[in-house]
Amino acid sequence: MQRPESPVVTKTVRVVSPFVLTFGLFTLLHGTKSVGGGFQGGVVVATVVVALGFGFGVDETRRALDRQTLVGTAAAGVVLFGLVAVGSLLRGAPVLDLTAYPVATVYVVELVEVGIGVTVAGVVTTLFFQLGRASDE
Amino acid sequence: MTGAATLALVLALLLFVVGVAVLTAMARDALAAVVVFGAYSLGLAILWLVFRAPDVGLTEAAVGAGVTTSLLLVALGRTGWAGLGPSFSLSFDARSLVGPVAVVLALSLTLPALSPVGDPEAPGFGGASAYYLANAGSLGIENVVTAVLVVYRGFDTFGEVAVVFAAGVATLVVLGREVP
Amino acid sequence: MSDPLQFGLGAGYGFGGRLPYLVAFVLVGIGLAVLVDDDDLVKKVLGLGIFQTGVFLFFVASAVRVGGRAPLLSAPGPYVNPLPQVLILTAIVVGVSVTGVALALVVRLHEECGTLDVEAIREDVRD
Repeated sequence: MQRPESPVVTKTVRVVSPFVLTFGLFTLLHGTKSVGGGFQGGVVVATVVVALGFGFGVDETRRALDRQTLVGTAAAGVVLFGLVAVGSLLRGAPVLDLTAYPVATVYVVELVEVGIGVTVAGVVTTLFFQLGRASDE
Repeated sequence: MTGAATLALVLALLLFVVGVAVLTAMARDALAAVVVFGAYSLGLAILWLVFRAPDVGLTEAAVGAGVTTSLLLVALGRTGWAGLGPSFSLSFDARSLVGPVAVVLALSLTLPALSPVGDPEAPGFGGASAYYLANAGSLGIENVVTAVLVVYRGFDTFGEVAVVFAAGVATLVVLGREVP
Repeated sequence: MSDPLQFGLGAGYGFGGRLPYLVAFVLVGIGLAVLVDDDDLVKKVLGLGIFQTGVFLFFVASAVRVGGRAPLLSAPGPYVNPLPQVLILTAIVVGVSVTGVALALVVRLHEECGTLDVEAIREDVRD
């Protein structure tokens, strides 16, 4: 899949990516106050990596983010959600009762959203890299 | 927007969505089918926005027109698969259409039992939805969809995150190699 | 999003205000036809996607309410039903996971058989 890179795509991706990444993180962290949340923010962040892959070549982008880190962060998101879910048992409340923590519920929800977003971003990026890898590696 | 303008917009979007779905079915070139599917996702995302579902619209735009289209393009690029024909064609096997037509007819028999779209007396508006709308504000969360996803129905969301992670693992099992 | 959704209840829509449901069923039918009839594996994945979005249209249309706003509490007044929107949000994400795994299987099949035509793969497997 060796193809000369288009300078238009490369330049555009280089200019636009920081803004899209910031917007993705904003959407992730503002899920409680406006439209957004973990899934939307995670998918937008993964889209930034996909755009970088289209602009600079999938193999170069894949070498910058190795597989162990990606799968590890995706697993960490699931574990974070699980810990928050089970942690309410320590307070004597049922599982997944997010109002049982001493902090305001909004912060616990945002922690869960970060976990969800990290998992979704990691898995979508892994999907993209696995599908786009050249078949001789 | 006035009632007539919203109605015209919804009808135009529904017509667009059905037309583009038929075009996707007719496409024989794989790349053309993927691009038309991206347009279909975009039409659907606008339809969700008109139906006052902004979270669903944002997710559909990001996932359908963004992630799915790019995953398909990457898969097509890797395999070099060009499809089964050069352009759009409407040939189909009449015997294999009996099943889908029967399914559509059977589903359409339920139409008289459904309440009209937009009816405030529809059975879905009482019960749990009224409770969520009334009590999400006291948690300090303004986006009711997020409140329902994480606080009130967190177990389903946990299952969903587990499914997403399992899909990543399944892809690695199918396509992974030993070298990183 | 913050102005109410106004359209006549049942007026102007076909089938007594149930046209979005009928369009949802038609999309399910189109998706099912592509999934069953087409010989190209990539088209089958697309057909699955169309099938799923038909079901989503059914649910989101059932959540709509005349005079309702989007379910964000910064605006007053009656809201559309948030519960089907939550279900569809989950379903969209699960749908993209299924599409990803299906594409991984399709790519693997192409590596083994060199083609994505279902008939050619059947011939290949038969001997």
